Order: sequence, then structure tokens, then C-alpha cells
Amino acid sequence: MNPTETHLKLDPDEVGIQDAESLLHAIQSDVRYHEAIHGCLNCGVCSGSCPSHRFFDYSPRIVVQTLLSGDAEAVKGMMDEYIWACAQCYTCAMRCPLHNSPGGLVMIMREVAVWRGMEAVHRLLKPYGRVLLKVLSIGNQLTPDMIQPDFFPDWGPKIPWSSTDLAIKRQAIPVYTLQVTNSAWRVSPETSYELYTIYEETGVFRLIEQIDPNLYEVVADMVEELRESVEEARAR
Amino acid sequence: MPTELKTTGWDFVTTKVDKRAIQHQNPEDPREHLKELEEKGEVTVIHMTEENRPITVETLLGRSKRIPTNKLWHHKSCGQCGNIPGYPTSIMWFMNRLGLEYLDETHQTSCTAWNYHGSGTSNLVALAAVAVRNWHRAYETGYYPLIHCGTSFGNYKEIRNLLVEHQELRDEVRRIMNKVGRDLVIPEEIVHYSEWLHVLRKEVAAMKIYDVSHVVATVHPACHVWKMIPEDVIYDGSIYGGERPAPTTAILLELGAQVRDYSTWYDCCGFGFRHILTEREFSRSFSLERKIKVMVEEAQSDVAITQDTGCTTTLDKNQWIGKAHGYDYELPVMADVQFAALLAGADPYKVAQLQWHTAGWEKLLDKIGIDWRTSKQQYESYLEELKAGKAPDQLYPLPMV
Repeated sequence: MNPTETHLKLDPDEVGIQDAESLLHAIQSDVRYHEAIHGCLNCGVCSGSCPSHRFFDYSPRIVVQTLLSGDAEAVKGMMDEYIWACAQCYTCAMRCPLHNSPGGLVMIMREVAVWRGMEAVHRLLKPYGRVLLKVLSIGNQLTPDMIQPDFFPDWGPKIPWSSTDLAIKRQAIPVYTLQVTNSAWRVSPETSYELYTIYEETGVFRLIEQIDPNLYEVVADMVEELRESVEEARAR
Repeated sequence: MPTELKTTGWDFVTTKVDKRAIQHQNPEDPREHLKELEEKGEVTVIHMTEENRPITVETLLGRSKRIPTNKLWHHKSCGQCGNIPGYPTSIMWFMNRLGLEYLDETHQTSCTAWNYHGSGTSNLVALAAVAVRNWHRAYETGYYPLIHCGTSFGNYKEIRNLLVEHQELRDEVRRIMNKVGRDLVIPEEIVHYSEWLHVLRKEVAAMKIYDVSHVVATVHPACHVWKMIPEDVIYDGSIYGGERPAPTTAILLELGAQVRDYSTWYDCCGFGFRHILTEREFSRSFSLERKIKVMVEEAQSDVAITQDTGCTTTLDKNQWIGKAHGYDYELPVMADVQFAALLAGADPYKVAQLQWHTAGWEKLLDKIGIDWRTSKQQYESYLEELKAGKAPDQLYPLPMV
């Protein structure tokens, strides 16, 4: 690979291409790659302070070593399940004596895994539908009406209180923008309109269409409806 | 060793391993490059003005950072607003008490980085465009962006650095911004609310009406606040000997609380982005084993004090389930600004909004001497009034519609 050949974002036309060499090339040509990897002394400082290393079969040192080895099959093997254990805390990046960012490398690998439609991604993202719907439609990721006892039974007996009479309890927060239930704050239609343009121009909508067509159908309807209403308002 | 192997081995070391020299070089200061880009007319920089009343502090490498204190645009956090509403409310309550000007409005999205770190369903250009759209919105209002969320703060600093380093990224983001009627702007500093609280800690502590010299607090610093772009983080020689970040600990000391150390101070909370939603056994095991248990057993902590969204949620929400394994700690968890607001007389229900927290906090308030029972009664009456159609109270005048 030509080390100067880099890309800002992945090509949506390459969805489904999963041969190992092509995946490795997509990772190594990411514009951030060479800033996240400078070599490795195998010192293990990253793994020694990694929260996921403590609980899973996961080691940031192995992520770095495998990428440096250039073993495309081994890299592909990690993208299926291994790298999804990373908690994205960036303790590894702060502590690495060579200024590597194993957490940053994991993000590049996750992005490639998603954009190439790898099998594990469909399973891993399935429980993520509600968050994706919110982030795609209003640019919020957690909203008050998502905190329901059915979804968070392990959060204890106070959760049912949080979801009862929610609209009134949200009104009792003395901040105008927060007095809503289906969004973390009121998001203006103009803002969502601009967000949709960003998602369209950066390939995010197209990506969602590829990996979750059902979700995309719901999002596409919302986008169309909002665009019509904003354009009507502008015309007035 | 054969000569050939020696040669190839050395090549390997020099090309792939021996970049150790970089550890002796400080990372470049992106603000210097930003200034050059501005001089060339490549980008518009959002500068602080006198109206922002900036205060200068020192960061990890001895660099200066200016923290604006007035005329601020609230870049809210979806996790805070969604499930810890007393967090942003306390920030705005203090700004009212201090007579500071601010703007809280609806033309903001989140940074979308929680979803990105959790699912990978975004990309660098999309993240950068979302950041710049929010920055530009602040810029056109004339208010300086104040970032509430730790992940937004870390993410925006990374985006700022990447925009400065890569012309192709700037060009692509500018193209998209032009499509939405905006332009490429970059703030001169990315500023987290904990930094704002830090530089105003003396003014905030002067409002204190409760003594907390008998209260033991443990601090959980947020990873994305101090581990991402660490050279930008505020350090102070008088806090932990200058070896750990100063914000949050410094305000607690100023308020007169006992801040106790514990052996897992450096660990993350266990949030994990995707883990808090889909690998919850990790989040609760880590938060209990590595944080809550240690804070209570080693430090005999009365309260865990946080400075970010995900940490507050993870440490607070995962305590109840621990009872199944004999962990019965009930350690109150709240942000530094909520704790400070309580000590300055803020209502625990109406302002600090502690009713949304799951770990019991009532014993802590009893220990401090805050009458939460009366507040609870008033809050319940207020809910009835709202149900009957009363217009809700607001911290600031409603926008003109």
C-alpha cells in the first residue's frame, strides 16, 4: 500500500466486500491510522490498564501487534467480535509510551466492519435500534422516554417512578428546552433539517439503508415529513 | 545471528518500532496552526471577547488555556438532559446566581459521538460536520460554546485537531456547511463546563451555606475529559502535586469537603458506550468492583463526585443490582456542579433534581443538614399544580415564538 494514500470516509460502494486484504487496506488507509499507531514495544501498559482486558478476552496490545504484523486474516478475525469488547475509554492512548491509540484503531476497525456489512455487526447492532433512531432523527442519543423499567429492570425500583407521569415531571425541570419527553431537549425542525443534509452528504443514511433496511424505512419517512414541513414553513 | 537477519531485524525495528523519540517531544499545539490558518484566511476562528471574561489557566504541559466565564452558549449533553436533568439545571442556576449571560436554545444537536463510539455507524466527516454545525450556530449568536458533556469535549478536541491537520477534511466539511448555509468555523479553545466551574470555584464556594468539613467525597474523573488530548487538560501544582487534573477536586476542596484518594482513581467507570446498553453485565461489574466498592471500603466515601454524563449514570444506576451479590453500598453519585449547588442552597428537587438518581442520597443530605423532606413535599405539590395547568417555572425568560 502506498503510505500516502489515505481516505476520509469509506466508499459506500464497497459494502459487502469482505476479503481480508481489502479490509486491512481500508483500515490502514484511514486518514487517522498513522496518527494512531507508531510501533509497539510489547510493554503491555495498555492492556494492564484496560478495563475490558479485565473482564473479556480482549487486549489492546494484541490489537496493535496484529495490525503491525500485517496479517490480514488475523485482523479480519478480530473485527468479528474481538474489538467490540473495547470500552472506548482511551486509557490505553493516554498511557502508551509510543503515543499509540489502540482505542482509536478499534474505532477505525469498527467503522470498516460496519461499512463493509460484516456478519457480526448485524447481531451487535440489533439492540441499538432505538438509539440509532433517535440519533438519526433528532441528533439526540438518549431521551427521557427511553428509560423504561422493561429495558432497565436491573436499575432498580426507582425506574418506574422515572417513567410515570413523565411529561409533568419533565415540565417540573425549570429549563424550557428540557420540558419534553421524546428528546433530551427540544430540537428545532431547522436543526434536524440541517442534520439530515449532513447524514446524506456523508453517506450515513446510505450506510443505515444497507445495514438495517427496516430502520431506514422508518427514518426515511420521518426525514421526508420534516423536510416538507420545513420547506413549507420557509415558503411562507 | 546471521548478518541478513540482523539487517532485516534492524530495519524492522527502525521502521516499525523505534519511534520512541516521539515520547520526548511534546505534541504540537494545534492552536498555533489554527492561528496560521486564520492568518491565511483558511478558517474563521471563534475568538473570545472581553464580554466572555476569560480566565487563564495552565494545562498539562505548562501551556496556557483561556476559559470563558460569561456570554456562553450551552452545548447541552443528551445523556444529562435525558436522564440527569439536575446536571444542566445546576449549571444554569449558578449562572443566574452569578449574574452571567448565557443562551440555551433549540438549534443544537448532540455531538453524536456516543453513538459513534458504541456502534461505529458514522464517520469522521459526519462527526466533524456535526461539530462544526454546532460551533457555527454558537458563532452566529455571538455566544461562546460551553460543552457540558465529557465525550463531546474529548470528541470536539479531536475533531478540532484533525480539522487543523487535514486540508481535505476542512474542504469536505466546508462544502457540507455551505450546503446548509453555514461556514467552517473553529473555536480558539474547546471548553468543558468543569473548567468553567474550576475557574469560578472561589465565587461559587463563597455562596456556600452548609458546612461539609465532615463529608468525605471521592472523585471520579471522566476518561474522555482527561485522557483524550491530555495536553489540553488543566493541572495545578497544589492539586495532587500537579500529577492529576485539577478540575472537580479543586472545587470540592474550595467547598471545604474532605477529598479522599482511592486506589482505582485512574480507572474508567465501566460505561463503555455500547456496554451500558448491550453488555450491561460488564458495566455493572466494573462500576461496582473497580469504583463503588473501592470508594466505600478504602475511602469510606459519603458521596462519589463526577464530571461527566456517562460516569454519573453508570456509577449511580448500577448499584441496586449489586445487592444480588451482596454489594449493599448505596453511595450517592452526583456531578460536582450539583453538589456545589446543593451547598449554595439550591433546592434538591427543583434544581439539583436528585429524584432522578437511583442510589440513595437522602442520608448524605441529612448529614449535611439539608431539609430534603420539605423540598419533597413542595415538589409533589408543584407536580399537582402543573397537572392542574399551572405554567412551569423557568430559569430564564421563554424565547419569543
